[in-house]
Amino acid sequence: MALLLDFFTTAALLFIVSSGLMMIYGVMKIVNFAHGAIISVGGYAAFMVARLGIPGWYGWALAFAVGFAIGALVERLIVLPLYNRPLDAILATWGLGIVLIQIITMIFGRSTQLVESPMDGTFAIFGTAYSSYRLIMIPVALVLCAAVIGLLNGTRFGIKTKAVIMNEALAESIGINASRIRFIAFSLGAGLGTLAGYLITPLSSVDPYMGVAWLINAFMLVMVAGSSFVGLFVTCLVFGTLQVLVSIYVNPVIGGMAIAVLAAITLRIRPQGFSHV
Amino acid sequence: MKLTSLALAAGIAALSASTVFAEDTIKIGVPVGLSGANSVVAPSVVQSSELAVDEINAAGGILGKKVELVVADDGSGAVGAQKAFDSLIFDKGVNVLISMETSAARNAALPIVTRGKVPYIYTSFYEGHSCNKWMYVNAWVPEQLSSALVDYLAQEKQAKTFFLIGSDYAFGRGVLDYTKKYIEKTGGKVVGEEYLPMDGSDWTAIISALRSANPDALISCTAGGAPNVSLGKQLKSAGVNIPYGNMAVDEGTAKDMGSAAAGMYVSGSYMTSIDNPENKKFLADMKAKFGDELKTPNDLSVPQYDGIYAYKAAVEKAGSTDPKAVIKALGEISVTGPRGTIKMDPVSRHAPLTMYLAQVQDDGSLKVLKTFENVSEGKQCSFK
Repeated sequence: MALLLDFFTTAALLFIVSSGLMMIYGVMKIVNFAHGAIISVGGYAAFMVARLGIPGWYGWALAFAVGFAIGALVERLIVLPLYNRPLDAILATWGLGIVLIQIITMIFGRSTQLVESPMDGTFAIFGTAYSSYRLIMIPVALVLCAAVIGLLNGTRFGIKTKAVIMNEALAESIGINASRIRFIAFSLGAGLGTLAGYLITPLSSVDPYMGVAWLINAFMLVMVAGSSFVGLFVTCLVFGTLQVLVSIYVNPVIGGMAIAVLAAITLRIRPQGFSHV
Repeated sequence: MKLTSLALAAGIAALSASTVFAEDTIKIGVPVGLSGANSVVAPSVVQSSELAVDEINAAGGILGKKVELVVADDGSGAVGAQKAFDSLIFDKGVNVLISMETSAARNAALPIVTRGKVPYIYTSFYEGHSCNKWMYVNAWVPEQLSSALVDYLAQEKQAKTFFLIGSDYAFGRGVLDYTKKYIEKTGGKVVGEEYLPMDGSDWTAIISALRSANPDALISCTAGGAPNVSLGKQLKSAGVNIPYGNMAVDEGTAKDMGSAAAGMYVSGSYMTSIDNPENKKFLADMKAKFGDELKTPNDLSVPQYDGIYAYKAAVEKAGSTDPKAVIKALGEISVTGPRGTIKMDPVSRHAPLTMYLAQVQDDGSLKVLKTFENVSEGKQCSFK
């Protein structure tokens, strides 16, 4: 039972961490390598929220807003001129990540910061005591998944976004403002990144590099998932399970590499990954 | 021709001027990581060095000579350390090097120390067994740390089975390997030993393994900072509440870790709460000198302070700063500082130390529960 919960909670965390990257990659086929740094920003948002004494559950909105604002700024200033040069966009966002981390370091210092967890201890589920905060991550991931899928499938913005993803020139010719769609998608993606940073803080330490460790796994998951959030959900579940299994039955050092290695193998055998499953 | 001889004369003048200068002062080189990973702890090391040098100068210096501190940034890495050591020894002409370094930086810099023939007092705890003709170590090694922690958990907490968790790097593996041997030697049993890469932050699988092994006690030796905090938090949120000895926490980080650290057992050769007159005076003087800027003295900054006094005693015993004579004298002198009386051994080149076992309180302070007098450093080096 504990093993099953390990699978689900690991998958939930992976989904939360990679959804922001997916939002940006899905719409504009640009890999946002600043995603790790943006997750760190979310962690520091949690730190500021805790320090200012704002009640914990309002914090997520603030974290999202900070990320959205950063995303909006970055899209206009840095990413906008680079849509037709995806490789340069990768370099630019990578550089941006370094800059963000250095800014965090200049303001808060290099050391780890303390953020108290909103809930400690365990919760008994089917007779197994399990970390309550990790359990909470399962519904959080489900809600998040439902929200983004709802947004992309059930709203006008979503339909326009899909049109832009499928054929940008055609979408523009029928009057969809593709540039605005991209602007919103990038900001949303950054907002989801800081939100993820905020959410993983109780399980992690807050330091300038806290998000970087997640970047490679998130990147690999998104590559395998293609451009659908349902695909990402399935990918997180499969690879999260595999990661836990390898960590437990082989060893955790190899488990740490499991997602990257298995994703590379998957893409070798099936280049389209899990999209259109 | 004339120009050359003029330049030569100027060169000789400059050279003799610097020799005169060197005779008037004794220069202590302190290469530390002011930038990079060690930048969290380096300021405290510089502060305790400054206090020691101020005190020595106020009391008339060493052999009547003024002491000068030369601090160099090593960037917390091997390449930076080589540059820093090179510049301190060959450009600045320091008489001695006293500092903490990462193991990688120390190993990279030791050949330069050998080439420069300068005494080096290494003041950082580390995995042990680093030996060099010119080096003495006055901080703890795993032999000293493990025995204090394991003995306490076995004797006071009746722990028979242990689970070990570490970060996958030289220090983590080195310390836990020794700990495992020590546990087995003293009749305990290691029921699990797991490592996560240094940048890993998800301890789920290891905590699951820990739960199913169901040990009496847990000992961890992760990299300081992030992995330590995430492990502490995740153990807490997983409801693990067996006795937990953490080898990577000191007083400063315990405060930073907050509730994640509360209840942990830690060991070390220095804690601010050590109750002796030297420590009380040291803390009061540090507070008076640095006020609000004071970085909490710790198990790296206090050996630094002791190391400078050890050098003073050795030079006074040798009657000169001659490197060979100083190295010989370093094995003969003893100094009494905040950690008590410390005598480095001329053969092992390390020092028996009094180790303290403490528990982290809710406010992040450490409460000393037990003192282990003169814990042997074990077999380290064998110089004659």
